[in-house]
Amino acid sequence: MSVSEVTLDRLARNQNAVVRRIGGDREFRRRLLAMGLVPGEQVTLTAVAPLGDPLELTVKGYRLSLRKEEARLVIVEPV
Amino acid sequence: MTAVTLAAPGAALRYAPPIEAELDHLAATLGAVPALAERYPLRWLAVQLLEGDEQLLAEAESLGGPAVTAALAASRERLAPHYGEDLDVALVDQRYRFVHALAGQALTRPAAPPLTLSDRIDQVVTHRWLGIPIFLALMWVVFKITTDVTAPFVDWIDATLSGPVSGWVAALLSAAGLGGSWVEALLVDGVIAGVGGVLVFVPVLLALYFALALLEDSGYMARAAFVMDRLMHALGLHGKSFLPMIVGFGCSVPAIYATRTLDSRRDRILTGLLVPFMSCSARLPVYVLIAAIFFPAHAGLVIFALYLTGIAVAIVIGMLLRRTLFRKQPPAPFVLELPPYRLPTLRGVWRQMWERTAAFVRKATTIILATSIVVWLLLAVPVRGEGRFADTPVEQSAFAAVAGAAAPIFAPLGFGAWETSGALLTGFVAKEVVVSTLGQTYAVAAAEEEAVTPTTFGEDLLGIAGGLVSATGEALRALPGVVGITLEAPEEETAPEGLAAAVQAGFEASSGGHGALAALAFLVFVLLYTPCMTAVAAARHEFGSRWMWVSIVGQFVVAWLVALLVFQGGRLLGG
Repeated sequence: MSVSEVTLDRLARNQNAVVRRIGGDREFRRRLLAMGLVPGEQVTLTAVAPLGDPLELTVKGYRLSLRKEEARLVIVEPV
Repeated sequence: MTAVTLAAPGAALRYAPPIEAELDHLAATLGAVPALAERYPLRWLAVQLLEGDEQLLAEAESLGGPAVTAALAASRERLAPHYGEDLDVALVDQRYRFVHALAGQALTRPAAPPLTLSDRIDQVVTHRWLGIPIFLALMWVVFKITTDVTAPFVDWIDATLSGPVSGWVAALLSAAGLGGSWVEALLVDGVIAGVGGVLVFVPVLLALYFALALLEDSGYMARAAFVMDRLMHALGLHGKSFLPMIVGFGCSVPAIYATRTLDSRRDRILTGLLVPFMSCSARLPVYVLIAAIFFPAHAGLVIFALYLTGIAVAIVIGMLLRRTLFRKQPPAPFVLELPPYRLPTLRGVWRQMWERTAAFVRKATTIILATSIVVWLLLAVPVRGEGRFADTPVEQSAFAAVAGAAAPIFAPLGFGAWETSGALLTGFVAKEVVVSTLGQTYAVAAAEEEAVTPTTFGEDLLGIAGGLVSATGEALRALPGVVGITLEAPEEETAPEGLAAAVQAGFEASSGGHGALAALAFLVFVLLYTPCMTAVAAARHEFGSRWMWVSIVGQFVVAWLVALLVFQGGRLLGG
């Protein structure tokens, strides 16, 4: 991971970032790719659930929710 | 995905040339396997295999043999210099680029999307402080709709079948010269009772599916999962598991069907196995009766403790199941779209209510009808004494013999008598029947049956229609209760004269003088043991026969062990 890259769960609220890589097993990666989390795509952390997990993201103009443990597998670069 | 090319023939989706070349190769190889060519569009299948879909890969290799494996490996090798490990990313990326280009030509969108009504609703509904109270309030409404609002209709169906409909059948049989015969008893007490056992769930399920359709079609269900997931995930479940658990406090049957909102089969089954531990409302009359007899000063506390015990057992069993039967199935990743809010359509809501309820009636009738007839037969067959078929006292029937044979199983729990094991046996039909069976087995004269005044067919029809009108009125009056206002005082139910003393003496005798402990063990057993036949039928409908048996046997064993712990543990502590 280069200096400017962080995992998706580390973004601040309303912070924008660009997806760099997706870790995890093959099926998980396919699932996220299908949902539009493609490397190069912009993603915003929109909200956090009342109990602190999961996260609400905006990607490709729609809302997607991921748990922090899954967001940790997505490497992004804040912009 | 190929749908794009099919729907818009003028704008075919083309991948980069090296990928297209491999797709052609693969499609040709796959096309040589008739079983695959018949089942799948070949180009689509080739894309899925290159992306690494494990399920399709296994299927293609088993049907196509080494040729498919070799062709796929060769294609991957030729593509490796271009895309390395990221072939799947490249495929998805190229698809999205195509969609994006197409949308760019057809749509103009503002650079910064405006704050929509949907966003505003979300700011309140998933708010840090308001999110959970709003969620709990909505769950309360769903619970009340499936219980209080439907109760008058359930009573109406019950009254119509046991009153006028049974009367008509009896009248028809009398006309055919079969009045008072065993045929009449079979039809009225076996068949009509069994059909009634199915029909009384129709209003409950219609109400549940109404609530579910509103929650799902409006888009709120995804938010409910979002709000509750942290808590439910800690228990190894999914945010959406919370709703079935809440509905379970009303009735396990709609609760098992409510697991349909969960996306992964693992989560559906795991939730469905835990739902029956939530103490359903049919078990309450049993608690009230026994607690009032043995713990008159602390009845409320005992009942409350039972509800908590059910929740605690569900948590423990959930942990055990995840470490045993579900060990190889890790929780599905939580990848959930939060769709924009939409107004549900009347048509969509009604279609879901109707189709899902009709499916229950079709699937559950067999088990329920068969069980009702078996129980009727057991009660009808005399094994001792002077009784004739369909006219024998309970204690001389085959039912008593079966209950007596099963009684030793419960001896270590302090209630190894045929009277109690018989009540538990009929509890499989419906939990609230435990109370009336205890009345029968302890041979307490039941309340005098009301003298039946003969009615005409027309009067019956009027009575049925009037019953429906008053049921609707009661349901409407129950509506304010949905938001927590109760207009009517709850009805007080008292045990029949003499039953208390008989039950107390029975428990004292079967437990060697530890009546109160045995009663507590009995209550815990009723809380936890095998769900009623309708819940079992629902489990088979939703999860298949194998999981139905896991539920039947598993819960019996759990109930037996916990009741043993209560009785023997209590005795050790000197209770």
